[in-house]
Amino acid sequence: MHACDKCGNTPVIIHRKQSGQKLCRDCFINFIQKKVLSNIRRYELIEKGDKVLVALSGGKDSIMTLDILNSLYQRNIIQLVAVTIDEGIKGYRNEGVQIASETAHEWGIKHRLVSFKEYWGRDLDEIMQVNKEKEDTRHACTYCGVLRRWILNKVAQEESATKIATGHNLDDETQSIMMNYLEGNLDNLTRIGVKTESPSPFITKIKPLREIPEKEVALYVMAQDLKVHLAGCPYAGDSFRGEVGRFIKEISINHPTIMYSTLRGFERIKTLLKNDLSPKKTMGICVNCGEPAAKELCQACTFSKELENK
Amino acid sequence: MQITVRIGEEEHNKEINEDSTIKDLLQKLQIPSETVVVKRNQFIVIEEEQIKEGDTIEIIKVIYGG
Repeated sequence: MHACDKCGNTPVIIHRKQSGQKLCRDCFINFIQKKVLSNIRRYELIEKGDKVLVALSGGKDSIMTLDILNSLYQRNIIQLVAVTIDEGIKGYRNEGVQIASETAHEWGIKHRLVSFKEYWGRDLDEIMQVNKEKEDTRHACTYCGVLRRWILNKVAQEESATKIATGHNLDDETQSIMMNYLEGNLDNLTRIGVKTESPSPFITKIKPLREIPEKEVALYVMAQDLKVHLAGCPYAGDSFRGEVGRFIKEISINHPTIMYSTLRGFERIKTLLKNDLSPKKTMGICVNCGEPAAKELCQACTFSKELENK
Repeated sequence: MQITVRIGEEEHNKEINEDSTIKDLLQKLQIPSETVVVKRNQFIVIEEEQIKEGDTIEIIKVIYGG
């Protein structure tokens, strides 16, 4: 039987291919918590007294984010509020919503449940149904990402939050980098980061799990016996992100450090991109809703207008 | 040797070679190891771990595309 490289105990629950290290349950949990908390300090993601709003879907990434930030909340370093957005995806979302509500309640964290229907008048299934009838091929993930970000911002303002924490992990981040490279979308590339550098009044978004691989996030919640919703979104499978994600996972088998090197390389060229390629682009304010916008209308209001006309 | 394999709600007995590891089993079942967490007799194990006669192996899909 294999023994833990840190304490010598058995059994081990992970063999980290990127470092060769084998860890038992306790050492793994300890290692992950330390790494996330150290990144929070290193990148100055959170300051004492912050009110952090966690986007809590009930999936493994958001539950782990809440679990780690809860340790700061329990020590009165930050205030914490969780929000779950029900996009309205039949047969998929209910279990996550229930787990999110129960977890927040059990941990004594304020929880808000909001929906696409409540803020946008239609749920995602309805939007996709209308699109299908009109033969619009735009992917569900495009609407979902934009509308979710908009609602998160809105709820964060309603709650007077100072930070918005999302559960983006290392896989998500390298996927975003690769997708934008492949599409030649340099403006979007410059916006990828461990935290957004938004001027006031926009609320800074942070990604505490950004350097934790997805598999380790899954292992963390399982090792801790945390209840999570493990299922794939029915709309996600055929997305471009899905394709890129599968490619990166496949090459990571023989090149276990590839996601870290993608991230590190990107961080080095990001500064050059920002300085040389989009030096004067700044975010404006949507004339309709007051949220961040690159044009006159933000993307969410643009979609809403399009949908009204369908 | 015979073992029990549980995937989601499904459970069946399976005949595998002596000295098989979790990695061998996943390959045989054509399950990508980077998408699952595996438990042997209710404890999480690494893919290099050897399987023993009578073990119950639970394969939990934790990573979905997209």
